[in-house]
Amino acid sequence: MSTVVDVRDLVRDYPMGEERVAALRGVSFQVDAGDYVAIVGPSGCGKSTLLNLLGVIDRPTSGTVSINGERVERLSDARATEFRLMRIGFVFQRFYLMQALSARENVELPLAEAGLVGAARRARAMALLEYVGLAKRERHRPSQLSGGEQQRVAIARALANAPALLLADEPTGELDARTGREMIALFERLNADGTTIVVVTHDEDLARAAKRVIHMRDGSIVGDERAR
Amino acid sequence: MTFALLLALLLAVPQDSARRSPGSARTIAIDERLAADLHIGVGDRVVLGAQPGDTGQYAIVSAIVRRGADPAEVARSEYKIRLHLTQLEELIGYGDRVDRYAVATRSEAAIADAQARINGAAFGFHAHRSRDIAVQTSATFAVVSRFHRAIGVITIVASAIFLLCIMLLKVDERRRDVAALRLMGISAGTIVKGVVLEAAGIAVFGSLVGVGLGALASWLVNAHYQGVYRTPLRFSVVSGDIVLLAVSLALALGVVAGWVAAKRLVSVPPLSLFGR
Amino acid sequence: MLFTLAAASLIRHRTRTLLAILGVAVSAAMLLDMVMLSSGLRESFRGLLQTQGFQLRVAPKGTLPFDTDATIRNADSLLALVRARPGVIAVSPVLGGQLHVPTATGAVTSSVLGIIPRVEGDYEVLAGRQPAAPDEMVANQRLLDALRLQLGDTLRGAAGYDAQLRSLSGERTLRIVGIARFIYMAADQKGAAVPIETLRRMQGADSDDKVSIAMIRLAAGVNVDSERVAIERLLPRVTVISIAEALNQVDQRLSYFRQLAVILGSVSLVVGFLLVTTLVTVSVNERVGEIAVMRAIGVHRRRIVLQIVMESGAMMLVAAPLGLLLGLVTARYLNSILARFPGVPAKLDFFLFQPSAAWTALGLLALSGVLAGVYPSWRSASLPIALTLRQEAVG
Repeated sequence: MSTVVDVRDLVRDYPMGEERVAALRGVSFQVDAGDYVAIVGPSGCGKSTLLNLLGVIDRPTSGTVSINGERVERLSDARATEFRLMRIGFVFQRFYLMQALSARENVELPLAEAGLVGAARRARAMALLEYVGLAKRERHRPSQLSGGEQQRVAIARALANAPALLLADEPTGELDARTGREMIALFERLNADGTTIVVVTHDEDLARAAKRVIHMRDGSIVGDERAR
Repeated sequence: MTFALLLALLLAVPQDSARRSPGSARTIAIDERLAADLHIGVGDRVVLGAQPGDTGQYAIVSAIVRRGADPAEVARSEYKIRLHLTQLEELIGYGDRVDRYAVATRSEAAIADAQARINGAAFGFHAHRSRDIAVQTSATFAVVSRFHRAIGVITIVASAIFLLCIMLLKVDERRRDVAALRLMGISAGTIVKGVVLEAAGIAVFGSLVGVGLGALASWLVNAHYQGVYRTPLRFSVVSGDIVLLAVSLALALGVVAGWVAAKRLVSVPPLSLFGR
Repeated sequence: MLFTLAAASLIRHRTRTLLAILGVAVSAAMLLDMVMLSSGLRESFRGLLQTQGFQLRVAPKGTLPFDTDATIRNADSLLALVRARPGVIAVSPVLGGQLHVPTATGAVTSSVLGIIPRVEGDYEVLAGRQPAAPDEMVANQRLLDALRLQLGDTLRGAAGYDAQLRSLSGERTLRIVGIARFIYMAADQKGAAVPIETLRRMQGADSDDKVSIAMIRLAAGVNVDSERVAIERLLPRVTVISIAEALNQVDQRLSYFRQLAVILGSVSLVVGFLLVTTLVTVSVNERVGEIAVMRAIGVHRRRIVLQIVMESGAMMLVAAPLGLLLGLVTARYLNSILARFPGVPAKLDFFLFQPSAAWTALGLLALSGVLAGVYPSWRSASLPIALTLRQEAVG
């Protein structure tokens, strides 16, 4: 089984006044293709920082990050953008959909950026909305959708360019319990269909659904277990 | 009495190389523009003629005079020479005649009386008040002044829009603060007053900065155009009433803009301002 | 997609967008007016000088045409030399003077030109015909109105008037055979033209052989500047002025308006630029989270810049035609003010609309719109994505 994520000795610290605060203190781990990993831990333990580094939207102070065999920690801005577009799918706690665009247009946004045009782009976006169960709401604006529906659109958007890795930051954090459960089921289905997922969460149910749980505390990995 | 008239100055020669004078040379005054352009100084001898090709007469430059601030002369490139009246009459073959003469009266009240008496008694003359002549000769500047006023109105319209736009932006930026204040129970009226006060402060401060910039621009304009047109005339004056007008106008516009912007904001429910 | 996002951003704050468009339109109007003013006067004057096809003007040495009362003596023989040159098609001598016409209440005084009717280039005959006999004249409507005369009437005019003695000199009876529009006269100026020999006789023996100026029409293909130099060498007591030289003189005298136009035009451009920059900056600051998300999902920085430049460009695009219209209306109004300058030819326009003026104004506006959008958008698209998202989540 190939390795999708390979993190070695990852350190990330931030300046805070005259001092530096360590968010990550030498984290190392691998994620294989098709895996479903939940990173858990108390607030401020560094899990979101780790996710940002995996998502190539932040740079480590030291250490290396390889995604799909490519070192990404020192990519130029343009190359990092390109990498995010084609290899990484992001799902945020607050969905972050473009309010001016319809559900379908939101899914089309990364496809358009990747150069897909016309009917092919629309067809791909519709297929993804179909996958997350929102084909009938393609024309709705985010403000006309419920929280759960918005998160589904966000997942469809994240999957647009068939990324090697899907990253989710507290994807159930803004949802009620029932919608949260639906979201967990969707993640399980995604993983079952071959998507490699790394999710940062406080949600125990979501963590339990993952195949592997990494426990973090004070910027370090303190536990790494296979759930089943 | 001297009399000013534009003359064709045919030749200016330094004393050393001067030819013999046909008569005794008399003295003239020239303006500093002519002195500078032809490099003539006090004591130099020049030949004056009324027409190109005239033999002319010798004259000695006895004074270099500075021009008065006469709007009618701006943008005209001609030179000025002042001669003794009899000398000029002789030079141009004008005989014992003048084009006009000035009359000084003892008081303002005597002007109308003197004017009526001259017009009634002196055959062939017409007396004009200096003020009327000034109005006529500064017709050019009256037009320029009207032009500037029209541009000023356009500028005020543009400024009003600009100010309103900026105030809307400034107030919009504080949506969350305003929402928090409203939720704390601060009345809409108090918020509007606060915003209007802030707008007024910005407008007054901005207009004072503008007055400073205007004074600088005015200084630059005067320095530039006094050099270009070689005149002591002041083209731009930042006077007290102009400053007062600018500040009051900015204040009024600022208050209106602030009021409109604040009213718009407080009419939105606080929770909507939070984006919920 | 980008267009939708840009449009949505503009529509989201309608009042703000509308005000910005209005502000830019006023700036655009002012800019157009100033571009028109800076080149219009020159071009209008060029048109005026070229109306009758004379490329050169001969004036007494050191003077500009009709700038002083100076005249060229022995003009007939001098101009014969010019006429004999192979490149010269026509020479039109002009003598200036005044025509005093006694009326019941005093005397009406008008400018009068002595011309050779078949080669004159100072007026257009609107009704009637050119003077064909020594006692015939053309007059403009203003003079006819002042005298309450009409085409075909005769008048008793004089070239000289002694105010002290109230006596006329050089009187002559003239018949009005044409109504003319004098090209170089002001709208409120009374004007007339008579054959040059007639005016010389009226002005007395002293005027026998002199002219105020002469205009020269050259054959096609003749180099105007070398001909100018050659004539000046031939006639050392005159100044020969080409249209280019006359325009330079006008430029010098009216540099005030050109400079004013440059200053006010620049101020308008800066105000428009500031307005759009402020608006775009605020609008972008409100959307840093949205921009960070777009960056996180792989949208390139240049695309985000493009989207925001499209927003400022769209505002400029809507404001431009509005400003163009407003500019034309205000130019007309401002021109009507400046047309009242004493002595300015009636046909001279201070604000001349030329497509190039509109394109220049629009080009400058578009450029400032693009520049106004580029910096704030580039800055916001360059913010650290992770940090911005975290701050937005907290905010």
